[in-house]
Amino acid sequence: MNTTQNLITFLSRQAVTAATPMILAGVGELVGELSGVINIGIEGTMLMGCIAAYTVTGVTGYGTVGLLAAVATGMVMAVIFAAATLWGRADQIVAGTAMDLLGVGLSGMIWMMYQNWRENLGFSTALPHGSGFSPVVIPLLHEIPYLGPAVFEQYMLCYLTICLCVVAWWTLNHTRLGLIIRALGDAPEACHAAGVRVRLGRSLCLLFAGACAGAAGAYLSIMQTHAFASDMTGGEGFVVLALVIFGRWKLPGLVGGCLFFGLINSLQQTLQAARYTSQNSVLHALTHVPFQFFQMLPYVAAIAALAVMSRKSPGPRYINIPWPSIKT
Amino acid sequence: MIRRLFKRIWSAATAVTLAVLVCGAVLTLAIGAAALLGYPPLRVADLWLHGAAGSWYALSSSCADACPLLLTGLAAGVAFRAGVLNIGAQGQFLMGALVAVALSTRMMICHQPVLVIPIALIGGALAGGMWGLIAQYLERYRSVPVVLSTILLNFVALYLAEAALQGPLQAVGTAAAQSPEIAGKYWLPLFVAYTDFHIGIILALGLAVLLWVLQERTVFGFESQVVGLNPGTAKAMRMPVTWRQFQIMFISGGCAGLGGAIQVLGQVHFMTAHMGNYGYAGIAVALLGRLNPLGIILSAGFFGFLDTGAFRVEESSLALPHDMANVIKAVVILVMLVLAGISLWRSRRVGNPGSSAPTETPSA
Repeated sequence: MNTTQNLITFLSRQAVTAATPMILAGVGELVGELSGVINIGIEGTMLMGCIAAYTVTGVTGYGTVGLLAAVATGMVMAVIFAAATLWGRADQIVAGTAMDLLGVGLSGMIWMMYQNWRENLGFSTALPHGSGFSPVVIPLLHEIPYLGPAVFEQYMLCYLTICLCVVAWWTLNHTRLGLIIRALGDAPEACHAAGVRVRLGRSLCLLFAGACAGAAGAYLSIMQTHAFASDMTGGEGFVVLALVIFGRWKLPGLVGGCLFFGLINSLQQTLQAARYTSQNSVLHALTHVPFQFFQMLPYVAAIAALAVMSRKSPGPRYINIPWPSIKT
Repeated sequence: MIRRLFKRIWSAATAVTLAVLVCGAVLTLAIGAAALLGYPPLRVADLWLHGAAGSWYALSSSCADACPLLLTGLAAGVAFRAGVLNIGAQGQFLMGALVAVALSTRMMICHQPVLVIPIALIGGALAGGMWGLIAQYLERYRSVPVVLSTILLNFVALYLAEAALQGPLQAVGTAAAQSPEIAGKYWLPLFVAYTDFHIGIILALGLAVLLWVLQERTVFGFESQVVGLNPGTAKAMRMPVTWRQFQIMFISGGCAGLGGAIQVLGQVHFMTAHMGNYGYAGIAVALLGRLNPLGIILSAGFFGFLDTGAFRVEESSLALPHDMANVIKAVVILVMLVLAGISLWRSRRVGNPGSSAPTETPSA
């Protein structure tokens, strides 16, 4: 084991850990957008997933129950959003911002009341010992040099995410169901004529998206950090929205974008730490750069990558057009 | 003519009545929810009302809280109406605040408040506008959608502000990313003593009226609306589409930047990089106000009223979480949206071309 190998192993593992919640939420958002519904409020749903997973795990002591609660909460948020946009014909962008507010508000409220309640009962608000998840190491496979630990020393939800990606990619591109989902967003009239119920189909896609975003929230609170803080997603939901466009509404593009983002992020963290200890004069010169410029790096890199690739894709045609559409 | 005027007043009146009814219903529900959670409902309502509008001071702090929301709301409203999906008011707000703080704490050339205050405000607005133009440039010349680049630029602005506040602009004697307090003579003057009524509020209201005139009564406003509804049509009508989009983005970013400048000079008097999510909240304000500058005044006032009251309730012995205000806002927006969507659907389905259609919001 030399240093380069160590570094690659460490960076790739960090990148996958950071990218997992974005991929998970992104797959849901992608399916929703392909069916013709854009949900800007994904950040709010993720926050609700965080708080639901954290409080339920804190009360019951079982992480799995917390995860399920987060998925259920995400689906409840999706039901509200679907009711407003699909049956209530609300504008999706506006309703999405409202869902974001709702998530921020409700999660903050629940968090404060949960703290008061636990303290009155004389309990700590921390998770019970051992109830949060820790990484699952898959024997033998994680010893593959370089990239073994990146894929085989991750949290349980990461493995599920990988399976989900494969299944979703197959479904979207090679099955009748996938064709229907894409048609819902590109040609709802054709779906209607073929006997597919457009609003029902879109609702089911949204339910899937909500479940994914809820699970991504659970990943942040009971796996990655074992803690909750108000606004803990820190804009990750918005980054996911951006990455769906970045990947041009294609699943491999989305996953690539998330991994790229995660990699730059782990790279900047490593650089930040390394510049103080390294003997290398170039690295050492970086000690004069404020650390915020490192934090900025993933976002600047994303903008730069987009500017260089420079090809526009319009995306699903019927995004934010309610069904049945008004004849003019 | 008179009939048309009457019709307009009537439709505006019904819209306002509807909004008031919805807000009332939601507030009642919220107080009911507070009762269910074990808080004394009447006392919550009492504290909320008094905290937000019970005295001149309370009213002024509601207005001062609504002021940045009004400006970021205008930023989103102007842009969305022209089809420029500027989600970056948060970043533009921060850049405006940053430049205003830099100019008012580090400007060495002159010390006359009469000069420094306008320079700081204009500098803030320019900074916000320029930050917005980056996104528009990327859209026009590098095909990066504005929605995307503005989201990413928000984070860049956040870290840039933090770097500056921990570097050249840092206050002496702290380790935190925080600017020194702005000297008292550079604060925005108050027009009612011992309250929070600073002239920034009047400035924001004036700007809203100005933008309304610009949108509704000028060729510029008409053209930018056509650009928003259908760029192809606008091009066919030989409108300068690209130029209009750049102008709109500059105005939008400028509003947000001015909001940041007014917030630091008029209200908080120093700066940290976490001054509240005014930029994101501005999107909701604009959309609740139906992208109409006058409607945005009302919705910003409503948001400010809710927030200020909620903080007073949280500070009281009841300790009801102030995030309740966000939940109420979200429910109000959803209900109003559904009502508007359904009424539009009904009026069109019956085949009634004369009915006034609500302002269209652009599709993504």
